[in-house]
Amino acid sequence: MTQVLVNGLLLGGLYALAAAGLNLIFGVMRVINMAHGEFLMLGAYVTFYSFSLLGLSPLVSLSLSMLITFGLGWLLMRFVIRRVIGAPELMSILVTYGLAVLIANLGLFFFEGVFRSVPAYSGSIPLMGLSVSKSRGIAFLAAIAISTGTYLFLKHTTLGKAIRATAQHAEVAVACGIDVERVRFFTFALGAALAGAAGSLLITFLSVTPSIGGVFILRAFAICVVGGLGSFMGALGGGLILGVFESLVAFGTNTQIAEAVAYFLLIMVLLVRPQGLLGVKE
Amino acid sequence: MSLKQQTIAILVGVLALAVLPLTANTYWLRYSILILQYTGLALSWNIISGYAGYVSFGHVAFFGLGGYTGALLMLKLQTPWPLALLAGGVICAAFAWPLGRILLRLKGPYFAISMMGLAQVLRVIASAWQSFTGGGQGVSLPPENNLHFVYWGMLLVAAGMLYLTLRIDRSRFGLQLISIKEDEPAAEVMGVDTVSAKVRAFVISAVAPGMIGALYAWSLGYIDPASAFRGHITLNMISMTILGGAGTVWGPVLGGLTLSVISEELWARFPELYLSAFGGIVALSAMFMPRGIIAFWRQRQAKIRQHKGVTASA
Repeated sequence: MTQVLVNGLLLGGLYALAAAGLNLIFGVMRVINMAHGEFLMLGAYVTFYSFSLLGLSPLVSLSLSMLITFGLGWLLMRFVIRRVIGAPELMSILVTYGLAVLIANLGLFFFEGVFRSVPAYSGSIPLMGLSVSKSRGIAFLAAIAISTGTYLFLKHTTLGKAIRATAQHAEVAVACGIDVERVRFFTFALGAALAGAAGSLLITFLSVTPSIGGVFILRAFAICVVGGLGSFMGALGGGLILGVFESLVAFGTNTQIAEAVAYFLLIMVLLVRPQGLLGVKE
Repeated sequence: MSLKQQTIAILVGVLALAVLPLTANTYWLRYSILILQYTGLALSWNIISGYAGYVSFGHVAFFGLGGYTGALLMLKLQTPWPLALLAGGVICAAFAWPLGRILLRLKGPYFAISMMGLAQVLRVIASAWQSFTGGGQGVSLPPENNLHFVYWGMLLVAAGMLYLTLRIDRSRFGLQLISIKEDEPAAEVMGVDTVSAKVRAFVISAVAPGMIGALYAWSLGYIDPASAFRGHITLNMISMTILGGAGTVWGPVLGGLTLSVISEELWARFPELYLSAFGGIVALSAMFMPRGIIAFWRQRQAKIRQHKGVTASA
């Protein structure tokens, strides 16, 4: 039982990392990025090819995949997302949904629809009477490190403060001399890079296909809703909660039914406590 | 065109199309069934998402639910296909009513994603409930379908949906839906019973997909979770409606026809690229012509004329 909890917590750390980017983007520009899962997929494939073609360790290719997804996020912002900021939410959700389908299927075309994994770290470490899978442990620690780094960045740097200011009130931020356009570009690219990092780490212990984004977006969205939409810390908490819940349900029933956990959590929270379990009422 | 003229046009169209199976070979028959199927689905999606503005990312849920209802009835109770088809619609309506009362409380994007999740949950149930649905293996029906009847069934459902849309478009109910899309709080203040209107629209948009799903299962003689709840069926509904014109009567027909032909050409050769292209169509249409291709073209014409007028007078 404790073993199940630990595994859930380890998985939750990665969920949190992926969802944090989605929440950050929503907080700053009120765009729900349906293509967020596709950045995760791209990050996973950067790591896969770095490992299988160049023999790079996942922890090395992690930075590479963050750089690439950061760049792609920037490009997507430049040519598409910029145009839908401020438009009705339904328009931005349709546009990013179309993009998600586009990218996922290009992925299927170029990367093939077979399960891929990166078995770089195998075996497990005994820890206080439990056995912790080495790859899960490493991935969790890396995810926590990146999340903490992002949190400190948001808290203490000038750009980080500008991002938080824009999220709170874009017009006032403009009046204070913040280049909101640049903040939005950076936030979107950063969010993409966080998803890319999560993908890189995920593929070290789970098999991945190019369709993983579509499976993942629902979880990421559930996490954001549970933790409170737009809140970075909320996403971290929500991720851990979902990871533990899913592992418990998978343990009690089977993994198929566990897939539905995210959905029920999402609906319940939306109906009963729309500001999120950890969120504050506006 | 007036309501009467359009009604006559639909009737003539149905009669003309009804004789097609008597001359066409199996390939053309299957092709036409596909076009009718997607046009009917797009017309249904258009009611809740095009008119009322509640975009559903999981409308395939009703297609799959209807498909399973029909298939299980035909297999376990030897129900004749017209009854199985009706049952597919009835079950979907009965399911959509309470579901709509819950989910339609959620605003825009939340509703969209909750529908996406619903389709996934139904797929999970269909694969996990081994004893009833046959699990991942699916349900096989005795091979006694008749493509002519499938065709006529699809034609009836699609034409019925088109006629219903036409009636809704010209009605008080249609205006209520549009007012909900434009500004829901304002609609409420003006005395529109928004909850009732939304739920009715949702139920209407769930019925035809249920019937089409049942017909689809019958025509294939087989249904499994993967094919019944395939995400690309939802994608087709969305892209066809958006391209042709969401919230218009003939938009889904135009989009359904165009994209069915395009997809038939691309599907066999490059399935991934075909889906990519449809994703691109959704993104581009939503960005540059949110009111569909007809409105876009008219606007351009008007602009060109205006431009010419300006230069002529100058």
